[in-house]
Amino acid sequence: MADVDEDAIKAPANASTEPDVDLSDETQDFRFLNHLNFFADASPGIPRRGEKDFEPNPTELQADVLSASRGAMHNALSYPRLHNTKTRVVAFYAPDGYVPPVKTDRATPKTGGEDEKSSESTPKPPRPLPNSARISPDACVYVPNPKGQFFKTMGQADSLSRVWLLPEEALYLIERGNGLAHLGPPAGPGEEDLSVPMSLQAAYACFMGHGGLTLERYSVYTGLKRLGYALLRAPGWCDDLVKEDADASYATETTPPTLHGPGLAGILGSLFNWIHDPRSTASTATGPIIGTGIHRNYMDIYRKLAIIPWYDPITAPERHPADTTPPFRVVFHVFKPSTPFKKSAPPTPDFRVAVVSTRDQTTMPTMTQLGALLESTPLDPPARGENGPLRHGYRNVVMAVVDQGVVSYLRVADSAFGKEKLYENKGGPQGPKWNRNQKPRKR
Amino acid sequence: MDFQPDLPIPISYVSGRYLLFSIDAVTYLRREHHICGVLIGTLPQIPQQNVFLGLPLELMPEEARLLVDKGVACIVDEAKAHEGMNTLLEEDRRRYLRDLESQGLHVSRIQSDRKERNREQTLKKLEEKKAKAKAKASAAAATAQASTVPEEGSSTPLPKNAAIVDLFNAEGRSSSPSTGSMSTPPQAATAITPATSYPPLSTPPPSTHLSAPAVPSSYPLFAHLHSKGYFLSPGLRFGCQYMAYPGDPLRFHSHFLVVSYDWDQRIDIMDLVVGGRLGTGVKKGFLIGGAQKRIDEVDSEADRVDTVRAFSLEWAGM
Repeated sequence: MADVDEDAIKAPANASTEPDVDLSDETQDFRFLNHLNFFADASPGIPRRGEKDFEPNPTELQADVLSASRGAMHNALSYPRLHNTKTRVVAFYAPDGYVPPVKTDRATPKTGGEDEKSSESTPKPPRPLPNSARISPDACVYVPNPKGQFFKTMGQADSLSRVWLLPEEALYLIERGNGLAHLGPPAGPGEEDLSVPMSLQAAYACFMGHGGLTLERYSVYTGLKRLGYALLRAPGWCDDLVKEDADASYATETTPPTLHGPGLAGILGSLFNWIHDPRSTASTATGPIIGTGIHRNYMDIYRKLAIIPWYDPITAPERHPADTTPPFRVVFHVFKPSTPFKKSAPPTPDFRVAVVSTRDQTTMPTMTQLGALLESTPLDPPARGENGPLRHGYRNVVMAVVDQGVVSYLRVADSAFGKEKLYENKGGPQGPKWNRNQKPRKR
Repeated sequence: MDFQPDLPIPISYVSGRYLLFSIDAVTYLRREHHICGVLIGTLPQIPQQNVFLGLPLELMPEEARLLVDKGVACIVDEAKAHEGMNTLLEEDRRRYLRDLESQGLHVSRIQSDRKERNREQTLKKLEEKKAKAKAKASAAAATAQASTVPEEGSSTPLPKNAAIVDLFNAEGRSSSPSTGSMSTPPQAATAITPATSYPPLSTPPPSTHLSAPAVPSSYPLFAHLHSKGYFLSPGLRFGCQYMAYPGDPLRFHSHFLVVSYDWDQRIDIMDLVVGGRLGTGVKKGFLIGGAQKRIDEVDSEADRVDTVRAFSLEWAGM
């Protein structure tokens, strides 16, 4: 029965007892948005979590609070997407994607757009121009006059300095209220401009399903974009990926697996050596595993006891994304906001994300699927002296599980238990407490 | 507020999912039919966060099915409907563009009015500050003068305040470029991205509606709980199929973690222990249930809903 002011008083105490509360986990009361002035120049903060009631009762107070909440929600959601004259970014929808110019004409961008449309009927083999080579064939929106911060991480420019956007990039900008897309080409000089701007609904209808974009992938894309991450499509984006696609760009990303650990052969070799060790007086077949000699420290004994071969993720060969089964395949490369990002030469991704829809994939991945997914990511061994090497693992991937618009992120890492020899730690038990090979962890 | 949209409400079928773009439909379905869905869009006012999200609203197939069965909604293939965009008559286009422009002008006017008010307030504050500083610095004679200054500020700025106005304008220009448009009174219209395409598109005829959505085997339990007044939302993040709320999730915490089973399905005792402990740990009941009759034993999905039984588990030892 708490009102807004009481909620505000209670909130700090609440926050101190539960520091890990993720506000986006639950539906928040939209009334808290009322405290924000959207027209203010300063960017508004996010309101604090409010108290909710236990169950409905027939009091009028509760009915009033509920209808106020719904009213606030209605107001917040009906706020229009506005584009000021000076900050307006205008884009044009070209469903057929980027068509390389027939000849390099130095026309103005506007008339260039017209040429583009007229030459659609005669598809020319794409000529790799230095800039346009990076434009994805799935790009379907172009911006003749790119301005603003968003184009630092989005889109690719063609030879006419128009920026081509992928469907998810265009949709994100429109939804955010930063881009205005027109259906159809811009009007030529002297023509009456009758190209209709796209509504949000039209943008979803046109872009969703275009070039492999699903609502789940878009939910992940836009959710991470809102948090400031930069995202690029990974080579595994296409479900019908074939190995022949392994081109130079992929080859440069793969690092040849290097042998650091002993591996299976190494273990067997050492076992073999041990059997023929002159100091040992017995073999496993005829006597105690550790032999009957004099043992001066526990380390030697533990080492001799370690006869079971273990899996070493370092020796596993890196596999092509085509070896994985969709949806257990990396579709996004994600870069932290702090990572210096250059569109022309993207750095090594901070995270690799696979997107799974719960309505299409209702079971957990099999070991084979998960193994292939992990082995399609490059080796990322824990740093030396890092606390919790088991947790970090040698390869890792983030699975975004989307349940009807609600996204859960799970990090799956490939841990090497055989490499962490507990008996070599002198100061007693160390490291993380968990003892599972694959530890899903919610970020 | 209590707006009543035309029924049936068109639910957009986009790339295999069910979406709502009209805020009136969203509010109406929430208020009258206890259908909440999940907001998945970016809120343009505060775009860099995930706590409050905006349109569109994604509906579970169960929710869409329930509404279609009730006759409240219909399913429209939005990609097909938008092919009509290209064949719009020139006249319709012109009218639509004119509408958008007049709305845009209206918004521009509101915004510039607000800016003007803010500017006046800021000016007033600046004047007051200045007056206070003067009062401190100079003698009692100056204090008398200071009381007159704020009045000047509230009316049109006098030439002697021109420096402050210029300073403020310069600041305003650097932070938001649109401030500059104040000096040129007839502003250009702010462009608007409307949420829906209706208008300019006309409502699709009933013959083009798609059939009712296919639903998973958990639908009878979903419909049963919904008919008992519960609000349901997707629950995977909390380790279940649905979350059941006693009232609108805006104002109430959920009471149950819901998992559906077929009537003669064997249930692993471990699943019950895990669900029971999880539910009790977060102060919720673990609810399992299912329809007693299979779909081949009854006439329709709706008949199965009447045969649903549900059980809730609580971990008493904790």
